[in-house]
Amino acid sequence: MQQLINTLLIGVSIGSIYALMALALVLVWRSTRVVNFAQAGQAILSTYIAWEVVNRSGSFLMAFILAVAIGGLIGGLVESGLMRVLLKHANEGPVAAVAPVIATLGLLAVIRAVVGLIWTNEGKRFESPVSTAGFVIGDATLPFSRLNLLIIVTAAVVMIIFSIIFQKTNLGLALRAAAYNPEIARLSGVRVATTRTIGWIFAGAAGAVAGILVSPNDSLTPNSLDTLLVFGFVAAVIGGLESLIGAVVGGLVLGVGLSFVLIYLGTSLIFPTTFVVLVLILLLKPAGLFGAKGARSA
Amino acid sequence: MHSPKFLKNPNRRRLLFFIFLGWLLLLIGDRVDELRVYQGALIAIYTLAIGSVILLTGYSGQLSIGHGAFMAVGAYAAALTQIYFSPPIIITFLAAVIITAIFGALLGGGAARLSGPYLAGTTLALALGLPTLANQFEFLGGETGLSFDVGFPPERYGFDFTLYKWFFWIAALATLIMFWVMQNILKSRYGRAWKAGRSNQAAAELLGIHVGRRKVLAFTVSAGVAGLAGALLGMISIVSPSAFPLSLSFAIITGAVLAGLTSLAGSILGGLTLVIIPEIAEAISKNVSESEAVSANVPGLITGVLLILTVLFAPNGPAEQWHHHKEKKKLKAKSKGS
Repeated sequence: MQQLINTLLIGVSIGSIYALMALALVLVWRSTRVVNFAQAGQAILSTYIAWEVVNRSGSFLMAFILAVAIGGLIGGLVESGLMRVLLKHANEGPVAAVAPVIATLGLLAVIRAVVGLIWTNEGKRFESPVSTAGFVIGDATLPFSRLNLLIIVTAAVVMIIFSIIFQKTNLGLALRAAAYNPEIARLSGVRVATTRTIGWIFAGAAGAVAGILVSPNDSLTPNSLDTLLVFGFVAAVIGGLESLIGAVVGGLVLGVGLSFVLIYLGTSLIFPTTFVVLVLILLLKPAGLFGAKGARSA
Repeated sequence: MHSPKFLKNPNRRRLLFFIFLGWLLLLIGDRVDELRVYQGALIAIYTLAIGSVILLTGYSGQLSIGHGAFMAVGAYAAALTQIYFSPPIIITFLAAVIITAIFGALLGGGAARLSGPYLAGTTLALALGLPTLANQFEFLGGETGLSFDVGFPPERYGFDFTLYKWFFWIAALATLIMFWVMQNILKSRYGRAWKAGRSNQAAAELLGIHVGRRKVLAFTVSAGVAGLAGALLGMISIVSPSAFPLSLSFAIITGAVLAGLTSLAGSILGGLTLVIIPEIAEAISKNVSESEAVSANVPGLITGVLLILTVLFAPNGPAEQWHHHKEKKKLKAKSKGS
């Protein structure tokens, strides 16, 4: 029973990080119809910035806020500097359909290389801001630590902020309208191009949060977020790639599922399970659990 | 035999061209030093892998960014065949092709239903995860990997015939044969059906082309070819998870994009670029600073920038762009003349 609860809690903690990455991918997909593989790169750059600030100032909170803000800025720059030009340019020829995806891959390579040039490829240790020792209840030590709690709380706060923006503000309405039908949104006075940039800014910030939360207590290298990108993608696909709520649910489902696999079956099955889940979802329910109708209302 | 009549048949002309190319390559391979011969083998292997991506992405319209996974399957298949059965080397390579093709067919069955971003993400997940499987199973050799030993060159080639030259011969020959096969497939009705499905799926289906089935076939062929490239790569290095990192998949797709996704003949250009880039990086790091960070990251920087620039300015590849440019010029000249 105790192990069951532990597994569940750890799963929610990993899952909320997946959910944030999935959110980032979904936000970009909704606004631009591109799966942004450079999201891992943008997130790693933000995470390194956070690491640098923590090392210099010692304040995790300041590092977090600064890095997330810069993450958003990077997202905005990528959209206005690269994607906008690209979508304007490349709309003819058989390669047009794959061009944006390839461009994001190129960007991923560039960002990684830049990060490696600045901070070298050696693994950096990102000190956790809070204790990573498990909580002690009675005489039992749980694997669930303060860091896990911090992750869950931070992710929850970010998601609540997002849902308030999307559900309660005019900006959120504009973002939803532009995602639902850009032409009609434009006709009714929504600046679609601006909402697209804002979508990328939010995505950059969400990706940065995911990167910073996943890195403590682990070795930070220019490629250390690759797996997070894949898990985020799988989570987004489970949720339907269109739906923000779907992304969160997808992330949590994947996190808890993998946590069970990890504890009851062993590490070796993490990847095969993820891949099988991805393929099954794509074959059986390509629109995801929250696809089509659900997506439009979120 | 070399009557003009014989040469009129395009298939025969192509065959002769490939034989001539092979002869030329062998001559070159005899006259350069060891390092260049090794790089020659590498170029051949990359060219083959890029060809497999172009076949899939350029002709059949399915974007795979995880061809490193197929290469890994081919390499492991070859190494295991060699270790357990040690058949003649040609059979080993054939086994690698067939096993990877079967793997590709299974995957393609699912992938044919996927479009753009879903397929790209799925292949990405595959490329990232599949090589790590080797760590979980004893017989796959874990992190140290397996060695795929094709043996020494036959003695009748003489003593100064080095191992690397032997590798180069095998890689170049395999690549030439495969390109000849791929050319023929693309000129056949299958190739035309792929192009039709890529341009307009609905129209192709109206013509009675089963686009889904054709896509699976493209996946199968492409996987088989990539498997061979992987087996060759395993031959000149080692068959381990770290030999097939995600960056290999990225390098291959980069090469394919640089070569121009729409022409198989451009593959060699991509292969050359992939081998030249680390050389340039090395030269830069020697002249600028000796730090490891520079030599490790400059290749990534160059490939990334090249990818973005290509997509921005020459989405169909530099060769195609050049062609397009010339045609435009011609058209202009014509309109002026009239």
